[in-house]
Amino acid sequence: MRGALAALSLLSACAWAQPKASADALLAAMQDELARGRALRIIEVPYFIEYAVDQGDQTSAAATLGALLNSNRSRFRIPRVQVRVGSYQLDNTNFVGTDFYAGTRYEVERLPLDDSYAALRHHLWLATDMAYKAAVEAFSRKRAALRTVSAAESLPDFHPAPPVELLDWTPLPEVNAALWRERVRKLSALFLRYPKVIGSVVDYTAARDVQYLVNSEGTRVRQPSGVMFVRIRATSQAPDGMTLRDASVLHTRDLARPPEEKDLEEAARRVAENLTALADAPIGEAYTGPVLFEGEAAAQIFAELLGRNLVATRRPVMPPGRTLPLRASELEGRLGVRILPEWMDVVDDPTQTEWRGRPLFGHYRVDMEGVRPEPVVLVEKGVLKSFLLTRQPVRGSQASNGRARLPGGFGAKAAAISNLFVRAAQGVPAEELKKRLIELCRRRDKPYGIIVRKMDFPSSASWDEVRRQLGAAGGGPAVSAPVLVYRLYPDGREELIRGMRFRNVNVRSLREILGASNDAHVFDYMENGAPFALMGAGAYVAECTVVAPSILVDDMELDRMEEEMLRPPLVPPPPLVAFSGGPLDR
Amino acid sequence: MTGRLCLLACLLGAPWAWADGQGLLAILAEELDRNFRILREKGDPAPYFLSYQVTERRGVSLTASLGALKGIEEQHGRWLDVTVRVGSPKLDNYRRMPGEQVQFTSALPLPIEDQPAAIRQRVWRETDRTYRMAVERFIKIRTQREVKVAAEDESDDFSLEEPVVHVEPVGRAAFEVDSWTGRVRRWSAELGRQSGVLTSQVSWGAQQETRYLVTTEGTRICHGRGYARLSLRARAKAADGMDLVLEENFNASDASRLPGDEAVRQTIARLTRDLAALLRAPPADPFAGPAILSGRAAAVFFHEIFGHRIEGHRQKDESEGQTFARSVGTKILPEFLSIIFDPTRRQFQGQDLNGYYLFDDEGVKARPVTVVENGILKTFLMSRSPVRGFTRSNGHGRRAPGFEVVSRQSNMLVESAQRVPEKRLREMLIEEIRRQGKPYGLYFREVVGGLTTTARAGVQAFKVIPVLVYRVWPDGRPDELVRGADIVGTPLASFARILATSDSYEVFNGYCGAESGSLPVAAVAPALLVSEIEIQKQQKSLDRPPFLPQPTEEQR
Repeated sequence: MRGALAALSLLSACAWAQPKASADALLAAMQDELARGRALRIIEVPYFIEYAVDQGDQTSAAATLGALLNSNRSRFRIPRVQVRVGSYQLDNTNFVGTDFYAGTRYEVERLPLDDSYAALRHHLWLATDMAYKAAVEAFSRKRAALRTVSAAESLPDFHPAPPVELLDWTPLPEVNAALWRERVRKLSALFLRYPKVIGSVVDYTAARDVQYLVNSEGTRVRQPSGVMFVRIRATSQAPDGMTLRDASVLHTRDLARPPEEKDLEEAARRVAENLTALADAPIGEAYTGPVLFEGEAAAQIFAELLGRNLVATRRPVMPPGRTLPLRASELEGRLGVRILPEWMDVVDDPTQTEWRGRPLFGHYRVDMEGVRPEPVVLVEKGVLKSFLLTRQPVRGSQASNGRARLPGGFGAKAAAISNLFVRAAQGVPAEELKKRLIELCRRRDKPYGIIVRKMDFPSSASWDEVRRQLGAAGGGPAVSAPVLVYRLYPDGREELIRGMRFRNVNVRSLREILGASNDAHVFDYMENGAPFALMGAGAYVAECTVVAPSILVDDMELDRMEEEMLRPPLVPPPPLVAFSGGPLDR
Repeated sequence: MTGRLCLLACLLGAPWAWADGQGLLAILAEELDRNFRILREKGDPAPYFLSYQVTERRGVSLTASLGALKGIEEQHGRWLDVTVRVGSPKLDNYRRMPGEQVQFTSALPLPIEDQPAAIRQRVWRETDRTYRMAVERFIKIRTQREVKVAAEDESDDFSLEEPVVHVEPVGRAAFEVDSWTGRVRRWSAELGRQSGVLTSQVSWGAQQETRYLVTTEGTRICHGRGYARLSLRARAKAADGMDLVLEENFNASDASRLPGDEAVRQTIARLTRDLAALLRAPPADPFAGPAILSGRAAAVFFHEIFGHRIEGHRQKDESEGQTFARSVGTKILPEFLSIIFDPTRRQFQGQDLNGYYLFDDEGVKARPVTVVENGILKTFLMSRSPVRGFTRSNGHGRRAPGFEVVSRQSNMLVESAQRVPEKRLREMLIEEIRRQGKPYGLYFREVVGGLTTTARAGVQAFKVIPVLVYRVWPDGRPDELVRGADIVGTPLASFARILATSDSYEVFNGYCGAESGSLPVAAVAPALLVSEIEIQKQQKSLDRPPFLPQPTEEQR
């Protein structure tokens, strides 16, 4: 009884940010139970134990046409316990059965929200028992498999890492949920003025998260992190039935400086106007030739083609006779090879917090494995120099460079970019690129060139649509669909077209970059590992920024989309009459 | 009747703010008429029926373990289910084809505010989507009928029913979250403290559900009810690895009707006493012999082996086992048993019943239905999908949002004309053990649930999962608890073995999962004496209890 009351008063005093490590019940419970875990020497000896806890307090709301669809608050503490038995050289991970566990689950997928030391330890105790049993079983099965198959390459299973101590007690700013509910409601009402838009949702999520990590190497991390984003997503339909989509997402890491109302309104208006224009635009024709990726679209294509391929994949050990369809990175095995024009460099730098006065979304101090990241030169003078690395050894890697940003498979984490800077030594003014495009078309006798100003990345499509797009690529690499595509005629006139898809575009296409602008566009997004970073597809996200110039790329292929189009509805849309006396009139 | 008056009094006494359902109903009705009118005119094939059902749920749920809050969730949402029927009531897009599960609806989220433009846009697009699917399936069915043999049951696809207009005010009561959070924390601390308990949790939830229905036949309904639930669960692991779970669930129409401190503490004491006894108990051996099922065990037994087999739609689906399809008018149970389904019943002996409702999800008024009278099968549970001999609904068409309506159970009442006091029932069990020359009989005290297969392709069987099973010795030794037994059997054989019942009834409230989603139901039954029941060993976990001892404060 007394214990329960104590927990209650702690909570009401808002105990998320305690000033000292010993006063943080969660951190104390993690450390104490981790210390006890070393006594697990029953069958195999654990050589490494890691406890990570993602603590979250998130509010969100969604609205359409001035009416609230939902409004939620969720609080959680999700533990991730890893036990490694064996040694850094050979352990229970990197095996197809690493994550498999058939034993008793103890209802410890979530930890208590209250700062109750005893309850937290009880949960961690049972979670460790499960992880240990799973590790022992996987290790014995892996060794059995290795008796009959030989691993593709002999790599160690885990890179050691120096201990890191980062205990940040800075409290996160409060989020006014009522204010943001009202704001998304108001923003969503802007679409009442656009009758061609037949569906629209505006939603926000504000997350006050704290990442905890302790491991048996001595690392201790408490890292508060705020993220907020507002998404604006909408669809319209062309007279022939083609469905058109556009979306815009505004992000911030600083909860005290949320996206500003005028920027949000501008973004919503732009989405509505894009969709209205697209509904009336003609369908494009197949095209092969130079394409100018302007501003946002250039950053998006770098995020997709480079960002997602700057990792090296490792195949897990498998019992004989089994195969696993793992798609290797397109840059696998190409270290030292030229992948961009020699006047281009690419650097990934999570240590930078802002760029030309603008906050960078991809900044972090310690990655998911407790490693402090450093800036990494990935491409120098067009040549691939390095990959984004985690503590999972891959060919050529000696240590992690602190890019473990998403959960991965078989005991590893997945790497992702942070702040990716794409630099061109021979940049020209943006207008100059347009002139070069016209010039190229003239020389090659083409009636027009193509400008792409926006890609559907991260995608706002449905899963069904994503499956169709991946199917159309026939299992090969695919890039997201372009949203804003323009024909540029020799006289400088531009014409918006719709229904276009890229074909045969992959990381090799970047070798055909003919020129770049001398300015740069900053593009923030949330990587979740899903195809086209599909919005809402992953439980975990890594915040990323790409800073890149506009680029002119030769030999790009565009086709008309092949998907079946639904006929327009028999019933015309209902009138967009605002609710009298409702929030719109306030 | 008294039940209804009582509830009304409770409502008036509570701090409720009323908002009526008229706003949403009017918006839905307007969009319904517009879509139906234009689709009738331009559609080919045209719809003959269109309906919109909206389920609104507002609720909160929380969980605590070891005195600490583990999760808290508040929910408020509205989901739309559109029904479009093209063709005619004789043959439409809902025609059952063997083995095919019809699914048109998608439970589209709707705004929780009555803003006409926002609601109408979503309803319009969802109607379009559903209509396209309806047309596609209807055309396919018409073609298939030309190439396949006629079905055994060529009943119509949709029955004609009277339209209903019934509008209740929508409940907007606040849930007393803070006070319940405190209580749940406290109870979870008490439960977790008991020795032998490995993990435990106490959960509480309260919900107000409102259902809106508009149809092109003129039905306009807005009605609702509350649900509240308190659940306590404790787990242990025996030395041989067997996982032991005990739980107690309380269901009520309102959180104020859930048990108070004293009753919950008694429950905790009982749960932990039973769990400790289970940890010491020997594992069960496979056995067949006479047994008593407590009222609650009998309720689950009847829900599984009987209830699911008299759901109307199964009688005309040729992939179904159709145990009773041709048994109407014949004796299927001992003649001292009658079975009534009564969704209009709010309570039984002061306990709220989970399967209470006023209208089903096709807008048909709820009514008591005597399915078995003195052992003779009289009718089936009917939705608006007719079967041979039964052309009308009896108010049992139900669904959870996102599923198509089929006939489902409500409140099942098992009535017996052959009642004896509990003490006498026990004497009869011992007589039966001796008569059969068995070493012992069984007493099933608590069950957590069960499952059954009704499909033709599967084995016609059921399983009831008891958690407290005792051996009853004929020589007067005290009853002996065993662990890890499952009741198994085939339905028809089981009915014939019912010998007698007790004279007191028990209620089992629960959630039943089937084709049309998870739905609240209840079953009320007396204890049963059966001449033979079969148990098998439960599948058991192979891993050991935790390697390290439970952490204690001293280890800090």
